[in-house]
Parts: sequence; C-alpha cells; structure tokens
Amino acid sequence: MSFVPGIGIVKGMGLTLRRFFEPKATVKYPEQKADVAAKFRGRLQLLLDEHGALKCETCFQCAQACPIECIDMGGMDTKSRFHVHWGPPETYGERREESAIRRSGRTVPDPAFNSFQPLELDALDEALRRYDYDPRRMLEILEATQAIYGHLPVAAIKKISQLTGAWYAPIYGVATYYGHLRFESPEAKAQVAAMAARRPSEDAYLAHLGASLAGGSGVGGPS
Amino acid sequence: MSLLKTPAGWPSILLPKADGGAGKDAFSGLRHAIHLGPTGTIAEVAASGLRGHGGSGYTTADKWRAAALAGRDAGVSTRYVVVNGYGADPSSLTDRTLLAENPAGVVEGAAIAAWAIGAEEAIIAVRAGETAAIAALEGAIAAAGAAGLLGNDAAGTGHRLEVEVRTVQGAYMLGEETVLIKALEGKRGQPEQRPPHPTEDGLWGKPTVVQNAQTAAAAAWILAHGAAEFRQAGTSEDPGTILVDVRGPAGGGIAEVPFGTTLAAIAKLAGGTGAGHEIKAVLVGGPSGGILPADHLTTPYTFEALRVAGAHVGSGSVIVADERACIVDLARLLTRYCADEACGKTIPCRIGTRRMAEIGERLAGGTSRAGDLELLVDLAEDIVGSALCDHERLATLPLMSGLRYFRPEIDAHLERGECPAGVCHPSALGRPPATATTTPSATQPSSASPA
Ligand SMILES: Cc1cc2nc3c(=O)[nH]c(=O)nc-3n(C[C@H](O)[C@H](O)[C@H](O)COP(=O)(O)O)c2cc1C
Ligand code: SF4
Ligand code: FES
Repeated sequence: MSFVPGIGIVKGMGLTLRRFFEPKATVKYPEQKADVAAKFRGRLQLLLDEHGALKCETCFQCAQACPIECIDMGGMDTKSRFHVHWGPPETYGERREESAIRRSGRTVPDPAFNSFQPLELDALDEALRRYDYDPRRMLEILEATQAIYGHLPVAAIKKISQLTGAWYAPIYGVATYYGHLRFESPEAKAQVAAMAARRPSEDAYLAHLGASLAGGSGVGGPS
Repeated sequence: MSLLKTPAGWPSILLPKADGGAGKDAFSGLRHAIHLGPTGTIAEVAASGLRGHGGSGYTTADKWRAAALAGRDAGVSTRYVVVNGYGADPSSLTDRTLLAENPAGVVEGAAIAAWAIGAEEAIIAVRAGETAAIAALEGAIAAAGAAGLLGNDAAGTGHRLEVEVRTVQGAYMLGEETVLIKALEGKRGQPEQRPPHPTEDGLWGKPTVVQNAQTAAAAAWILAHGAAEFRQAGTSEDPGTILVDVRGPAGGGIAEVPFGTTLAAIAKLAGGTGAGHEIKAVLVGGPSGGILPADHLTTPYTFEALRVAGAHVGSGSVIVADERACIVDLARLLTRYCADEACGKTIPCRIGTRRMAEIGERLAGGTSRAGDLELLVDLAEDIVGSALCDHERLATLPLMSGLRYFRPEIDAHLERGECPAGVCHPSALGRPPATATTTPSATQPSSASPA
C-alpha cells in the first residue's frame, strides 16, 4: 500500500475550488423563498445502502417522533429480518385522526378499527382483559396475540393500541425488535420461509462456527 | 451439554457435587442473611470479594450498597432485583446449566440480594423454552415458600419477599442488563445511557440490582459457608469459581473452575484438540471474544488478565481451535454475528460494527481495498470510544485480537490473496496486491454473511 503525503489536502482543496465556481443553491431564507409548490412539505425517503439494503432499522422512532404521526412504514428492514406491512392506504386519513384523538387524551372510537382486514377479535379482547389492558405488559400481549393469529396482524396491533392507550408506532417498534414475533401470515408459506431464512438464528451461528473451526465453508467457498 | 469432570480437590461452589458435598441444609444462606440483617449481609458479601460473573466482574457488594442507598433520602421504597439467567451467547450454556443444576442456589441468592438491598421482589429472567430450568426454579421457589422464607412475612421478619420467574426471548442483546430491563418492561430492547446505572434508575425507574445467575448462587453459598471459606478458592482479586463452557475438536462441556485457572488447564478439560492436532488459538468470551494464540495459554482465567490479553470473561465460553481454523474466517464470522445482533440504537453500533464485518469479509474474500486495515483500527477506536453499550466495544475484539496476534495470517489474505489454513477461498487469488488507487474493488455480496 503506498501513501502519498498531502494527497488528502489536495483532494479536499480541489473539491472546495470546484464548489466555489458552481452556482449557489443556498437561498437567503426568509428574505428569499425557494420556488416550490404551495403544498410542498418535503419528501420523506428511506435510503438504500451500497448493497441495496434498506438503511432503516424499523425502530419506528421516526414515526414516534413525527408531530402529526403521518409516518407509517412498510417493507423490509435493514437486515431483511422483518417484512413490515403497510396499513391499507384508505385508512391513512383515519389514522391521522386517531392519533390526534389519542393526543387529546380521549380513547379512540371503536368502529374505525374494523376497517382493516376482517379479523375475529374476540380472542384478542379476552387476552387483553387477561393482561388488564396494561401497556407495560406489551411484550406479553404481543406474544399472546401471535399465539392467537400465528402472526401480528395490523388490525390486531391497532386494536391493542386502542385498548391499551399505547401509541401505534412504539408497539410496532417493540414488535420489530424481538426475533420471535412475526408479521407474516402463516398462510403465506413462501414468505414465512423466506423471512425465517433471513433472520439471524442461533443454530445457523453455531453451525457456521463449527464449520469455520473445522476448516470448512469459508467466504466464497462452496456452501 | 454435559458436565465435565474436574480434577479432584477443585472447589465446588456453584454446582453441587454429585455426592451432595455442597453440605449444609437447604436455604441456610438465606436464614443466615436474615439473621445478619441487610447491612451485615452486604458486609459478608463485601468480605468475600465476590465479583459479578456476568462478564464485567463488577464488585457485587458495591452494587448492592449503591442500590440499597439509592433514593433513600427521596423516600424511594420500591427496589428490584433482577437475576440475569438469560445466557445470551448461543455457544455458552453455563447459566442455563446452573439454573437446572442448582436452582435452589439461584433462588436463594435472588432472595438474599433482595433482602440486602431492601427489595420486595426479585425476578429471575430465563430464556423461554428452557422448560427444565423453569420447572426447577419454580420448584425451588415453592420449597422456599413452604419453608416460610418467602411471602408477605418472610421468615417472620415482617418483610415481604417474593421471587418470580419471567421468560424472555428473541435477541442476543437481551443479556445486557439495561436491555433485559427494557424487555421486562415490555419495551423495545435497546440499551440505555449510563449513568444513571440501574442501581439508581432500573426496572420501572426504581433502584435495581441486575445480577448474573452464577453471582446469585455464589452469594447464597457465601452466606451459608462464610466469606473466608469462599476466599479459599480462586485468586485474591477474583475469589471463588466460575462456570466455563469449553468446546474443542475433542469434545466439550460445562465445568466449574476456580478463577485463576490457566487457559491451558481449561482447554485440557475438554480434551484439548485430540490426537494429531495442535492448539492454534482459543476464542475466549463468546461471539465478541478475543482470539488468543497458543502461547497465551498460560494466561490465568481472571477478569484482568483476560482483558489485558485482549479477550474477556464474557459468557464463559472458551473455544479451542486447531490448525484447521483460519483466524480471518473466524473473526469475520464473529464480527458479522455481533453486527447482526447489534441493536441499531447508536451510530457506532448500527454502522460501525457492520463496516468492520465488511472489512473482515473483504479480507476473507480476497477483495480488500487499500487502507482497509487502517480503517479497521480506526473504526475500532471510534466504536470503543463512542459506544453506548459494552456490546459494540467488545464486538471489536475478534478482529482486533486477530490483528494483534495473527498479523502474518491476515497479511497473507490481504497482500497475496492466500489463506494459509486453506479455509477462505479468496476470489482474487493471484491478483496483484491492493494498491493506493481509490477505486473500490467489487463489494462483498451480503449473501456471504452467515445470517
Ligand atoms: C451484549 C451483552 C450480553 C450480555 N449477556 C449477558 C448474559 O447473557 N447473562 C448475564 O448474566 N450477563 C450478560 N451481560 C452482562 C450484563 O449486562 C450485566 O453486566 C450482568 O448481568 C450483571 O451481573 P453481574 O454483576 O452479576 O455480572 C451481557 C452484556 C452485554 C454487553
Ligand atoms: S424506523 Fe427508525 S431507522 Fe427507520 S427511518 Fe424511522 S427512525 Fe430511522
Ligand atoms: S448494541 Fe446498540 S447501542 Fe449497543
């Protein structure tokens, strides 16, 4: 590896010089205003890294922080462990309304929650009663929900949010963290299998470790 | 995993001897603690010099004292004890073995800690799925209750003392204390900034002692047999014993070893490498452990000596590798696991560990770029300096210890695209060495990662 002293400075100055002669993009706000459409509110975009993986952890902290709770998320997380489903678009308006109501401290009215996929909610009601609608027992509630449906359906999460008073985004944030909680319906067998294969598993780790110690399966080798 | 036979005369503190040689009647430690009172109990533990077995080796009595005093002036009366029986490392079954083999000791230790700090509730956190351990613990709790030692008027003291088993699962990071607390609170498992330590601001914001299961069992033994007898085992800095999970080409299992036992003696318990092979390295501390060369086998198994050597006690895992293993391959595998399991809360964690794993994968794949090793060292320094939790700091150890002790092997990968152990299959075999041109070579496909 050779190293030319000062090359970094030269490169840096080169960049500075180039920028110096480029047209200015900065606008003297608020005296001047950029020419944007009246309804423009900026664009939220999730970026991909150089391997084409989503740079998002699905931690839902952005959704949690968003003052009007307009952020919803869907797709695959950074490590391709979770496929998080988007809620149906027609419910977005209702969701904003719901969060506004929740911030006001009132409970969210019931009927809106039935507009997702049809879901038999009696068992969930019963489970929530068992946990005393206590948001502090969210992990147990989510585990019970998964025991009922085989996964965590959006409608169930909304129902949990409504009855425990916990915000939707943090509930999702909890659910995406724990490896044993799933979002894929058990009926979607191919997807379930694909997602399971992507999740880091202890068995896979031990198998790789054993193979590595025994001198097998290195990078690029036959796997 | 089986229990390994240890040399006769080695002390037995954590695991009861097969002949029942642990002696003394059930729960005598808890009875003695109640007799001594909270302050006396902490004094006894302090005299024993007991250090946490969960990896960091923090002095147990200091932790108890801090939690006992925290918020006293502000009138905080609720406190908690959380016994960490999660056993995060898949390659170490030490804690899980302890829970099944000596459940009474763990329950007793939990109750003693609660009594010492003035807590009413102790929670033993166990992996969901460890049904045998859970049943054993429930049995021990019932026995202690039947003996009148738990309940609203524990041992006639007028104090409430409860021990409860809670199950957790779903992530490696759950072993970390602040993450475990989050999980018990039903939250996303990401570590918290310290200070304040859990001893001030723990479960539900109350002073909380998080203690490894082995530490709890050792505390129970100390109260039953006395601090002086405890100090008979181990070294003066690290008294007592610890469970190790030794694995090697010739077999493996769990063993209770006195602190200060050399790595060579530990490796021998598992039969070393077996006939025809030489020990090349030992991985000490689990996925984020250090890879130490054979000439470091004389290192005593103590917190300080391992840290100086570039490894750590960690999960109690000791893995013996012979000449068939490639250090680059091993280190990139471990780093990838650590990166995959990092929680993503902080930048060094989310990005730093992944960049390190990629450098390891490039080394193994023969696609290293100019300056990769410098970048690696740089990254490691930044991660260690700015990390929020110990996981990220420790995640740098496999590659850093590899760099420290196995430089020629790494250079062979880097400069000549060769793997001396014949494990890696660098795609750029025979390619001229990486030069200072900045064009990045082909990126490592992510499918090469273990997950
Ligand atoms: C990534 C990570 C994983 C950990 N896993 C465990 C574990 O499985 N069991 C454990 O007792 N401590 C684990 N620890 C250490 C705990 O954070 C904590 O220090 C310990 O439970 C305190 O108990 P002690 O003082 O008795 O050692 C882990 C720490 C880190 C950073
Ligand atoms: S979910 Fe978390 S990681 Fe993803 S965009 Fe929002 S804040 Fe960032
Ligand atoms: S693992 Fe993410 S902050 Fe430590």
